[in-house]
Amino acid sequence: MNRKDLYKQEPPPFGKALLKHYALDPEYINLNNGSYGATPRPVLEAAQELTLLIESNPDSFNRLLYKPKLIDVRTKLATLIGAKPDEVVLVANASMGVNTILRNFDWEAEDVIFVFSTTYINVSGTVQSISDCPPFPSICEVPLNFPMTHSDIIESFKDHLKANPASPNKKRVAVIDSIGSNPGVLLPWREMVQICREEKVWSVVDAAHSIGQEVDLNMGEAKPDFFVSNCHKWLSSKRACALLYVPERNQHIIKTALPTSDTYIRPKDRLKPNFVQQFESNGTIDLAPYLTVADALEFRNWLGGEHKINTYCHDLAIKGGRRLAEVLGTRVLDPDGDLTVNMVNVELPIPGSIKWSADIDATMMQKMLIERKAYSAHFNHNGAWWTRCSAQVWNSVEDFENIGKIWREVCADIVKELKE
Amino acid sequence: MESLNRKDLYKQEPPPFGKALLKHYALDPEYLNLNNGSYGTTPRPVLEAANELTLLVESNPDRFNRLLYQPMLIDVRTKVATLIGAKADEVVLVANASMGVNTILRNFDWEAGDVIFAFTTTYGSVSRTVQNLSDCSPFPSVCEIPLNFPMTHAEVLESFKEHLKLHPAGANKKRVAVIDSIVSNPGVLLPWQEMVKICREENVWSLVDAAHSIGQEVDLNMEESKPDFFVSNCHKWLSSKRACALLYVPERNQHIIKTSLPTSHTYIRPADRVKPNFVEQFEWNGTIDFTPYLTVADAIEFRQWLGGEHKINAYCHDLALKGGRRLAEVLGTRVIDPDGDLTVNMVNVELPIPGSIKWTAAIDASMKQKMLVERKAYSAHFYHNGAWWTRCSAQVWNNVEDFENIGIKWREVCAEIVMELKE
Repeated sequence: MNRKDLYKQEPPPFGKALLKHYALDPEYINLNNGSYGATPRPVLEAAQELTLLIESNPDSFNRLLYKPKLIDVRTKLATLIGAKPDEVVLVANASMGVNTILRNFDWEAEDVIFVFSTTYINVSGTVQSISDCPPFPSICEVPLNFPMTHSDIIESFKDHLKANPASPNKKRVAVIDSIGSNPGVLLPWREMVQICREEKVWSVVDAAHSIGQEVDLNMGEAKPDFFVSNCHKWLSSKRACALLYVPERNQHIIKTALPTSDTYIRPKDRLKPNFVQQFESNGTIDLAPYLTVADALEFRNWLGGEHKINTYCHDLAIKGGRRLAEVLGTRVLDPDGDLTVNMVNVELPIPGSIKWSADIDATMMQKMLIERKAYSAHFNHNGAWWTRCSAQVWNSVEDFENIGKIWREVCADIVKELKE
Repeated sequence: MESLNRKDLYKQEPPPFGKALLKHYALDPEYLNLNNGSYGTTPRPVLEAANELTLLVESNPDRFNRLLYQPMLIDVRTKVATLIGAKADEVVLVANASMGVNTILRNFDWEAGDVIFAFTTTYGSVSRTVQNLSDCSPFPSVCEIPLNFPMTHAEVLESFKEHLKLHPAGANKKRVAVIDSIVSNPGVLLPWQEMVKICREENVWSLVDAAHSIGQEVDLNMEESKPDFFVSNCHKWLSSKRACALLYVPERNQHIIKTSLPTSHTYIRPADRVKPNFVEQFEWNGTIDFTPYLTVADAIEFRQWLGGEHKINAYCHDLALKGGRRLAEVLGTRVIDPDGDLTVNMVNVELPIPGSIKWTAAIDASMKQKMLVERKAYSAHFYHNGAWWTRCSAQVWNNVEDFENIGIKWREVCAEIVMELKE
């Protein structure tokens, strides 16, 4: 059924009944939306139509038709995050967005970049690579070991800012996850941004997981210096697309897009930043992922909108996490739920004395993904093994129970194999 | 016409080059497309392969992104490396040529006194990339070499050598030359292999922006040409899905590329770095849609079905020459490269607009409106060296008639524009 007709119908209830509107293998227990997202069939349909439109006349599309569509998507996203449209551009993915920001700063020796031990691996790699190049700004890595509370995090952040004050005329930049990946936990990012403001630290919020999962985002209120979020993770859009938010007051920092656009203006010719323009065309790309963000929003509206979707997913994350911990005989990382949005982290029944290795990592993926067709992200953190489950609109508590049985089996296998 | 799946399609003889091939592309049959050079064109079988791959990815994104994709990526990299006479581990894939060029240029440790050589014909985003680097501390210099066509290869080489002489390397400073293999505006072949050789002799790093090369220039051989870096778009002339470029960095230079852009979790800090991990750093740079990269293999398969690189390009090259001459006749003007030494599959013909009429955004928009929207026809247009030109791309679905027909339209459109400007 095409989506026009589909949207005339009542949407199915959340849970298994929605699975058919995704292109997921119905036999795959997918509790890992958080890694790569999942594209609803109507969005795939829209992308396919758009692809054929582009292919029918690539010149007409790229030179004339695409810009209004891009503006439409940027405007819709800006509305969703409480920003002005001209403060929002689209980039390839969150890693690209973070690189664009960090590589535009004019670094100086004695600048300090704050990251966390839980910072996403591509991002910490980025910060390291910047620190390894002249003039070698410093890195301060703030350790975060969960379980910990939001006040613990804020305390630790403040302590580390104090321990690394700004040198005269030098800057400090903090890369703050809104929602961490491993573990999948909500950080008190708004308070941390506020602290940054008070301490005159630039705040770069890596909010890869936020849009479509955190409701009521409001850049006007939160006032981060920079904010990047993936649209394909939780906002149901086609892989891959991220929004890059840079408030007007900071657009002068972003001197160039990556890659540089032919609209780049040299400092002597620069009257004011041309932020939006520089991100309109950065080499040929497939425009379907960016432009079908609008179709993703339409699908989510059909399902009932952001609040309805996320109420279901959040409740399920909490309920499902508890159930999973029961089945595994372990614990939820965040029993009070303060750090849980739509992802929940539950300990796996593997002794903490067994350290992470590439072998164990590969074995887990083999046993879960290939042999048992089920997956929730796995990781080793703070001396324990965990699984991070993403509660999505097609999931139900039964999925958590079922994956619990599967993980129990797999963990027992692994422990046994290691003993041999 | 019922569409065959490609397995069955490839059992048949391919149609002859020309109009009969159009149905194997998703182009509007009414659109007179002589501008493959800008965005490329995806054959239907490649779109079909991309759709299949999309559904495979969507059925289990974790299984695909964590386990299945890597062997497929290695397969594509190996095939592309073979096509350009390089080792597989010297070739990685990036989003597009602009990204490839930025990756290389932004990895150099620039110093005051370094010189970057570019040309007035360097692609817009690339020359701006160079400008941006020059605008950031420690402010390396830029030397922009003017190229005004028509000019011969000998003249291009002469000018290049002169400018290298005028800007010798400072003590312990480096010089980097960004050299187009085939320029965009005008669409002309440069003597890039000779320029790379001159670079080698002069201790200048050669970065070849070969955006247009793969699938258009046959018998590319990195082992022979030995550029320091080489970037080429697979979606322009190699028939692959938008967008994908190859980034070639010979083993001897991989230490220069310290990080991919964006940086990968496989980035290794200098203290820990035993040797470059070039290929590994480009395997995962954030989530992307892998289908453009991975269906390069399907694009190559399609092109094999058509007869292979030599057969395809013999047709396209001949057509560029014949079509260009015919177009110049219809327009009453001239071909920029009458001897054909600078013509591969793109030909540049002067438009009948007085050179005294300079480029403006208004004229630019008017041309696009009149050609693309009102007449459903297009070949790239640009202003160069005091004249207006159109660049026509000769592709496997084109024939000489297309050049005649677009000539009639351009004549009309140019007359309209000249008249409107007089009013």
